[in-house]
Amino acid sequence: MHASFVDILPLIMLGGLLGLDVVGFPQAMISRPLVAATLGGALVGGAGAGLLVGALLELFALETLPFGASRYPEWGSASVVAGGMYASQPPDQVGALALAVLLALALAQIGGLSMISLRRLNARWANRRAAALERGSGRAVARLQVAGLTADFVRASIVATGGLVVGTLLIPTVLAEWRGTEELARSGTVAVAIAVAAAAGWKLFHAVQGGRLFFLGGLGAGLTLLLVLL
Amino acid sequence: MAIELYRIDDRLIHGQVVVGWGSPLDIQFLVLVDDDVADSEWEQELYRMGTPPEMAIYFETVDSAAGQLDHYRRDERRGILLTSSIQTMRRLAEAASIPAVNLGGIHHRTGRTERLRYVFLDGEEEEALRSLADRGVIVTAQDVPAARAVPLSELLAAGQEG
Amino acid sequence: MPTSVWPASGVLPWHLRATILLRSLAIQGSWNYETMLGNGVAFAMEPALRRLPGGRGGEAYRAAMARQCRYFNAHPYLATLAVGALLRAELNGDSPERIERFRSALCGPLGSCGDRLVWAAWLPLCALIGLVIWGLGGSPLAAVGSFVVIYNIGHVALRIWALNVGLRDGLRVAGALGAPWLRRGPDWLGRVGAVLAGAILPLATLRAVGPSHVGVAAAVLLVGALAGGLLVRVQGRWEGWRLALPLLLLLVLFSVTV
Repeated sequence: MHASFVDILPLIMLGGLLGLDVVGFPQAMISRPLVAATLGGALVGGAGAGLLVGALLELFALETLPFGASRYPEWGSASVVAGGMYASQPPDQVGALALAVLLALALAQIGGLSMISLRRLNARWANRRAAALERGSGRAVARLQVAGLTADFVRASIVATGGLVVGTLLIPTVLAEWRGTEELARSGTVAVAIAVAAAAGWKLFHAVQGGRLFFLGGLGAGLTLLLVLL
Repeated sequence: MAIELYRIDDRLIHGQVVVGWGSPLDIQFLVLVDDDVADSEWEQELYRMGTPPEMAIYFETVDSAAGQLDHYRRDERRGILLTSSIQTMRRLAEAASIPAVNLGGIHHRTGRTERLRYVFLDGEEEEALRSLADRGVIVTAQDVPAARAVPLSELLAAGQEG
Repeated sequence: MPTSVWPASGVLPWHLRATILLRSLAIQGSWNYETMLGNGVAFAMEPALRRLPGGRGGEAYRAAMARQCRYFNAHPYLATLAVGALLRAELNGDSPERIERFRSALCGPLGSCGDRLVWAAWLPLCALIGLVIWGLGGSPLAAVGSFVVIYNIGHVALRIWALNVGLRDGLRVAGALGAPWLRRGPDWLGRVGAVLAGAILPLATLRAVGPSHVGVAAAVLLVGALAGGLLVRVQGRWEGWRLALPLLLLLVLFSVTV
């Protein structure tokens, strides 16, 4: 993929917006991989390809519950990048799906780290305004809020830009060297995603009354449904 | 032993406790040790609302908890004992034997220094933690099960100026 | 002696409630490890605090803002309940000591209810609905659209309910948290979620591997499910997505070197 800055600008903006959705505004969960990667793909004309990456990443994301202070991956900007990168490869490009998923997992982790830095920055800004906040200044409260939101958007845009640049440089090189089959790459990637999703589903719902049975029942129903459809 | 975790967390009952630890450990009861809450009907009602319906919750003062501890340990269900402050846990440990303490969340307040993102301590609290460790209590900081348990020595050494 | 400035009609005007609701969408805008979403709570209720005696910038306004921007933590959606209840208390002229004690006692229970209902039940359930639609061959619009629409109907309804019930009950809001759907909701949603979490495994495998590779898909499902079982054994200690990173890296390295 050869791309100029103007080509990737829409993806950067989308990455910034959806990265902001994770914690800052409006938390409508349009930052979930299922949505973000599909939109990323749609921007480069491949919503279907974006959805494939997004669905696989969503299987990973089922596991990560965003609990307050604990650390978690930032899926929004990472999924936009992965969806956009994968959708701009030729269809049937061997290895592209595995590589896009790997890129997203790495980028989500980096995005998570960038959120930790942002939170420290927010604390520093709050401390600098401590006297005004203690006096009950409405303006200080509003400015702190706006500064945090702006910084979060910038943060996510930077993560998306970094991911797009690295992806654009690295993906063609790696794909040119790819000697394995698509069958192996794809099955390996899907198997890892399924393993994480299976563990996540069990972890989430086993404690619910009858949860284990419902889970196994669902598994059976899914299998039966496929047998009927095939 | 039926008490799986002795936790210090100034939010007492919240998501990390009821889902984060509650789900993987199959927790079925909580013991909330706090002299103020044990004496306040409306606070108890709030904490009851924060407890999932399938979990039981018991409110104790430090004194009553010390007396009841063996009873809770013989319970067939698994439970978590919670205090909102280090001093409360220290008083409990002086009145009854506690094997290990989990520092789950002590938030920022003037005079406290950041030790981890979720642990801020002042000098008195550090002393209290050291005295717990001197009694043979294993003290570690860990917000959720998937995080690494940070030993007390590392926690106190690796503090950052906050 | 502070007096109540709560409107005689019993409710705040709808445009004021709409402004508070809109601002509450950004309640975590300055989230940090020291005050968490405290500043956001003050930010969300600020437009209504201007009704205090002395108006915007007056003594009562400043005292309330200073109280409300301190440390607070809860689930971001249910924090709107705290915004409503605390605002009612401020406009009623309740004592600062009561407001502060109530404010700190709200954090844990609101976090617990919200985390269980939204993060551990509603969100995964809606994501699974989107995934199942994709797994059954649905279009991008169908899979993504159904997730976004269904999830946000619940999301926005929860915020509106929380704000209104907080404004209605003030410091007596604990009872509202006992609503059956809030207590039992996570359980009901969890059962449906469990069914979909089981069903998605074969559906996703076949859709991602490709319907022309049924044998491969069966093998992938078997390996994935067994590995998932292993992950459950170490559950709590190890997060799957962190383990996945080195595994996929190995897969890529293997593929470029064989």
